[in-house]
Parts: sequence; structure tokens; C-alpha cells
Amino acid sequence: MNKHALRDWGPRLAVLAVAVALWEYFLSRSQNFLLPTFSHIATGLFHLIFFEPRFWEALYISNQALIFGYATAVMIGVPLGLIAARLPWMDRFLNPYFAVLLVMPVAPLIPIVIIALGLGLAARVFIVVSFALVFITINTRAGVRSIEPTLIEMAKSFGAKETQIWRRIIVPGALPAIFAGLRIGLGRAITGMVMVELLLVASGLGRLLLEFSGRMQSDMVFATVLAVIIEALALLSAMQFLERKIAPWAPNISIG
Amino acid sequence: MIRVKNLTKEFGSMDNGGGGVLALSSIDFEVRDNEFVTVIGPSGCGKTTLLRIIAGLISYQHGEVSIDSHPVVGPGPERAVVFQNFALLPWTDVLGNVTFGLDVRGATKNDSQAKAKELIKLVGLEGFERRLPKELSGGMQQRVGLARALAVNPRILLMDEPFGALDEQTRRLLQEQLLQLWERERKTVVFITHSMEEAVMLGDRVMLMTPRPGKVKEMIDIPLKRPRPPDIEKSAAFIEIKEYLWENLRAMQTDQP
Repeated sequence: MNKHALRDWGPRLAVLAVAVALWEYFLSRSQNFLLPTFSHIATGLFHLIFFEPRFWEALYISNQALIFGYATAVMIGVPLGLIAARLPWMDRFLNPYFAVLLVMPVAPLIPIVIIALGLGLAARVFIVVSFALVFITINTRAGVRSIEPTLIEMAKSFGAKETQIWRRIIVPGALPAIFAGLRIGLGRAITGMVMVELLLVASGLGRLLLEFSGRMQSDMVFATVLAVIIEALALLSAMQFLERKIAPWAPNISIG
Repeated sequence: MIRVKNLTKEFGSMDNGGGGVLALSSIDFEVRDNEFVTVIGPSGCGKTTLLRIIAGLISYQHGEVSIDSHPVVGPGPERAVVFQNFALLPWTDVLGNVTFGLDVRGATKNDSQAKAKELIKLVGLEGFERRLPKELSGGMQQRVGLARALAVNPRILLMDEPFGALDEQTRRLLQEQLLQLWERERKTVVFITHSMEEAVMLGDRVMLMTPRPGKVKEMIDIPLKRPRPPDIEKSAAFIEIKEYLWENLRAMQTDQP
């Protein structure tokens, strides 16, 4: 594993270094004050982390919605996906709803949610759940369906009861796909978290972004976005670590 | 003893709206204790369906299927199945796979692992206990499947084209190994195959089936001596029975459009 990491990260960092170098070069020549150079973004990020207490406050506020929303989405989405895959009537019933939710842009609904739930944490949690839930459910369901039917037949042939089939075949078999759904769901949840704050609720990181962009501090805007990206990557890496521990047989579908 | 009397199985017409498919019609036969019966027939003759019915995995509309006079209503501890595509759990190692049947039946961990290790050795996979299925060849995977089936100590082994997914050389080796294992402890075996050589080589009797709907055409005795010597395929009796099977099977193929 270690030598793979070195082999992978070598070219990745090299490409990043080249991209950053190009960015710096072109922007420093063009004097475009809306597009900050990478060095400006880096100093902005440094400032945010070490000298701006409002950044950490904003992070805390935003992440409340993320934690509650994502946890809710997982606690509803995974069981829902499991049940939908095993109960054909339930699956047929839910199918059109999922199809719609999958393609529907959630952002335009945000104002409606605000009207219904107000401007507080509840609305933000609801939006985070709406962004994440469908992907978690659909991937879970797909995971169960991807299990070779012969395995279930084999289990039955040895006298396995339904609960045993769930514990020994379905859950382990679906786990890789469930984790894929969790990862995608997390990305979506973070997007939802920031988007609702940008569009209407104006708290947390979204509010910070609005302030910076209002004051034309584009370097701080980019720095804040970069901070969100770093948080997202950290969470995704943690999830991947968890997945390796729980389901080491999963194929390495690495996002990061 | 396995008794099948007047068995009829139709696959339902619920989902596709068309008429049902009559898979098996008035199947009648017996398998005596400790007998090795091979089943052969063209595709679509219902042999896999028949095996699954005996295994208790699918239901049937008419007739009787019984084991020692007890009607078959579901799977049972006296029967174990070996699958064509091995059906191993990809996330568990060889030891975990072989103990699967025992674990499901509630055996203690020590007991099931001890028994599993014994069988892993018996099928020649000693040293591979910690390997995952994907690290094994097809032949080795099927030996795991066989060990798993034997671990629950069934009286009846139901084998659904177990060597069909393997190359010829592996197949022949496994056939020999299966016969050796069977000579030690003569379980009742129902073995589905597409291969005429395999059917004659392994069986005490061959059940020849015809398709659409599946019926038993004939039960053919194989009076070749046991244990079967490796050069049995050259004997005149072997060739005669094999050719007889082929004549019949060929005739069935040309009947079809």
C-alpha cells in the first residue's frame, strides 16, 4: 500500500504544481483583480485559519447542519434502500419518486423550504437531507441487487433463515455499494450545506462567502471555498479509511 | 431414499402475462440409498429445476417428492447442494466459506472450524485456509464448495453441473477426486451433467431426460465395476453406454426446430 501511495501521489502533485505555476504566471501578468493568484489564496487561507475567529464559528454553524442532516440521510437512506431492494412491492411504489428526486434540482426548492421551516437549523438540515438522501438510498438498493442470486440460494440450501441471509449475505455483499452511496451522499450533503447558506439562510460559511464576495475580496472567497474542499476531502478520506476497515474486500473505487 | 412420483412443475404466468412454462411433467423415479445417479439431457429439459425441487429451494404444483417417506417442503440437514458457479462468499476466506453451512446451523466456532479444517485437508487444499476465493483457481474454488457441502455431513449430495465451469483437465482431476471421496463414504448423489463421459464414468445409473416439457425418458444401468479404474473409458461397455446416450441425445436435438 505504501509504495502505491508514493507512485500515485508523485504525478498528482506534479500536475498540481504545474497547474498552480501556470495560474500564478498568467494572473500575475494580467492584473485581473477578480481572479486571485494562488499565493493570494494561500495567504487568505492562512489568515482564515489562524487569524479569523469568525471562520471557525462559521465552520461550526455550517457543520451542525451537515452532521445532523447527513446522519439523518444515512439513517433513513440505508434502511430504505435495503428494504426497497428486498420488497418488490415497496420498490415499485418508491421507484418513480426516486427517479424524480434523482434528476430534480433541489436548489430552486430552497425558498419553499425556508417558508415552511423558517430560517433556522431545521431548514438547513432539511436541505442537506434532500441533497443526500436519494443517492444513499439508490446506491444501497443497487448494492443489494448486485448480489449474485446464487449466493442467496446457496444460503437457503443450508437452511439459512431470512435474518441470517441478511447478516451473512446481503449486508456484506451490499457494503461496497453502500459505501459508494455514502461517499456520494457526503459530497452532496456538503454542497447542500453551503448552497442553502448562500442562497437564503446567510449563516455559517455561506454568510462568510457572501460577505467576502460583497466586498470583492475574491482571494478570501476562494480561500473559504478551498477550506470547504479541504474539509470535504478530510471527511472522504476518513470514510475511505473506515471502509477499508469494515469492508476490506471492496474494490478500490478511490475518490482521493 | 429419494422418491419422486408424478412430479409436475409449471413456472407461473404472473409477470409476463403469457402462458406458464411447463418445466417438468409427470416425473417418476427413485434414487436408492448410497446410489450415485447422474442426470443428463439437452438444455431446457428441466434437470436443474428438478434438482432445486429435491433440494427444497422451489415449490411444485403436483406430485410427491419425498426423502425417506418425508415429503420435501424446504431445505433440510440431510441434503447439501454443490453449485455450478461455486457460490462462494467473495468476502470470506476458504475456512469461512467451508464453515458456512455449519455456522448457519448453529455449530460452535471451534467445532465448525475443526470440521472444516479436516475437510479442507481431504479435498487437498491444506494451507489455503486463509485465502480468498478470488485467489483460487476454478477447480480449487469448487473443491471449497464440495468441502462446504460435505462439512454439514449430508446423506444426500445434490450436484448441479459442478464441473461444468471448469476446463477439461481440471474436470477430470475433480471427477477422480470425487469418486475417491465417494468410495470412502458412499453418500446418495444426484449429479447433473451435460457430458456423456461424465455421466457414465461417475454413475451407477444414468437418468436420461427429454425437454419441453421435461420428462424422464429412461433410467440406464451402468454395470461397470467399482471403484472405476482410470482407463474405464476405453472399455467396450463404457463406450457402448456412452454411444447409446449420444444416439438418444442427438435424436432429441434434431427433433427441435
